[in-house]
Amino acid sequence: MLSKMLLGRYIPGSSIIHRLDPRAKIIAVVLFMVIVFFANHWTGYGLLILFILTLTKMADLSPRFLFNGLKLILILLLFTFFMHLFLTKGGTVLIDGGFFTIESEGVITGIYITIRLAMLVLITTIMTLTTSPLQLTDAIERICRPLKAIRVPVHEIALMMSISLRFIPTLMDETEKIIKAQSARGSTFMAGSLTSRLQALTPIFIPLFISSFKRAEELAIAMEVRGYQGEEGRTHYRVLNWEFKDTMVLILMIIFGIILWVIRQ
Amino acid sequence: MIEFESLTYSYRSGEHRALDHISLSIHQGDWVSIIGHNGSGKSTLVKILMGILEDYEGVIRVEGTVLDDENRAELRKRFAIVFQNPDNQFVGATVEDDVAFGLENNGVPREEMVRRTEAALQAVNMLSYRDHEPSRLSGGQKQRVAIASALAMAPDVLILDEATSMIDPEGRREVLDILQKIHHEGRTTLIFITHDLTEIEQSDHAVIMREGRIISEGTVEEIYQDTDALIASRLVLPFHIKLSKRLLDGAYMSYDELVRRL
Repeated sequence: MLSKMLLGRYIPGSSIIHRLDPRAKIIAVVLFMVIVFFANHWTGYGLLILFILTLTKMADLSPRFLFNGLKLILILLLFTFFMHLFLTKGGTVLIDGGFFTIESEGVITGIYITIRLAMLVLITTIMTLTTSPLQLTDAIERICRPLKAIRVPVHEIALMMSISLRFIPTLMDETEKIIKAQSARGSTFMAGSLTSRLQALTPIFIPLFISSFKRAEELAIAMEVRGYQGEEGRTHYRVLNWEFKDTMVLILMIIFGIILWVIRQ
Repeated sequence: MIEFESLTYSYRSGEHRALDHISLSIHQGDWVSIIGHNGSGKSTLVKILMGILEDYEGVIRVEGTVLDDENRAELRKRFAIVFQNPDNQFVGATVEDDVAFGLENNGVPREEMVRRTEAALQAVNMLSYRDHEPSRLSGGQKQRVAIASALAMAPDVLILDEATSMIDPEGRREVLDILQKIHHEGRTTLIFITHDLTEIEQSDHAVIMREGRIISEGTVEEIYQDTDALIASRLVLPFHIKLSKRLLDGAYMSYDELVRRL
């Protein structure tokens, strides 16, 4: 199940969507989040679905693959749908079950809201599937740069993000080693009640914490001797190239938003 | 040339000295090995040189200039260091990012940064791995990247603080081969810290440390012949030295020479 999860995963590729500037992708996703709320009837929602399908095609992803990877989200979507089904009132009564009624407004709002949520999940998933975490970090740093004026430590936050990403596999390996070492000493993690299982995690987490602090200290020394002194006077190895196609993406996104606004009822 | 003069250091004041009146000269372009058991003070020495530890007694001179608080940051740029743990010194998310990290910190312009990163990766035969993430590299490869990161800074002195002790024998050989290549180019002074006597064979000068003191110093041949000092320092003698000592009355000979004699 977990291996099929797509949230936050990156799948390398060379499609047009992969090659867009990550900044363009982030801005486009934010625009889309607003545009989604412009739609208020079938044509609008139809266009949104069509848009996402086109995007999936352009990113070389198969819709079936996306659907399988987002099954967990489906539970959330169904929950939303049923909440609206039972709680939104108005229109004609479709089913009168005595203590509950399902009314036509409820069905329609349920479907609309579910589509809206699904579209938001899909577009963010398409973004993370086609953009490496490193590129995303870079893009966030560049986009948030104006926030430095109000003393947000943008560079430091971005560096923290990229170091965290870099250490995830290292710490995973370490966790595995500790689990093996503790198992060899007779710990069991998979048996007993929930509380005893949670308690069994202590001998994993304590060594993990201690070694993380040691790593952090060594890393800090390594960074210092390589001349790290914060952002001042620093140059950048990675550059983001904003091209014509990135501007086009944003223009198309705005045109799409205008169309949805115009056909509103 | 780096000179240490009567260098003394204690981790906590009043406690026993991690370094006890160390005096040592290191010449430009030499490969100097510092050998010692755990706690002999060999790592403390380079930590002081790198400015990680302060409040020492004694004098350090770099090219005749006395190291002090004002010029430490400037002089430190001439040194680069590779630490023991290959994971904990890998800052970048990919190989090339890591090599570029030090250059970024020093404000090197981007075109030059790209050129120097490539050249440094080429020197350690890791250029084809430039976009790899550290989790996909072996320990030896990670240490080679660490050496590339150090070389990219074009240091006068490259310090390796037990850089081979956490990697497999294959990776160790690769690292030593690269060091030999750097040594042959003759520009960079190598300070190589180890507790493994088999790794010092290629160095010009070797220093044995024990409990914060230098107990023996000389060429590799001289050191190998001084078996008493080596044993007193609880160091493991290389197999060919043990063999020649037992069979041929202790006369020193290199591995190849011994093979020929036998």
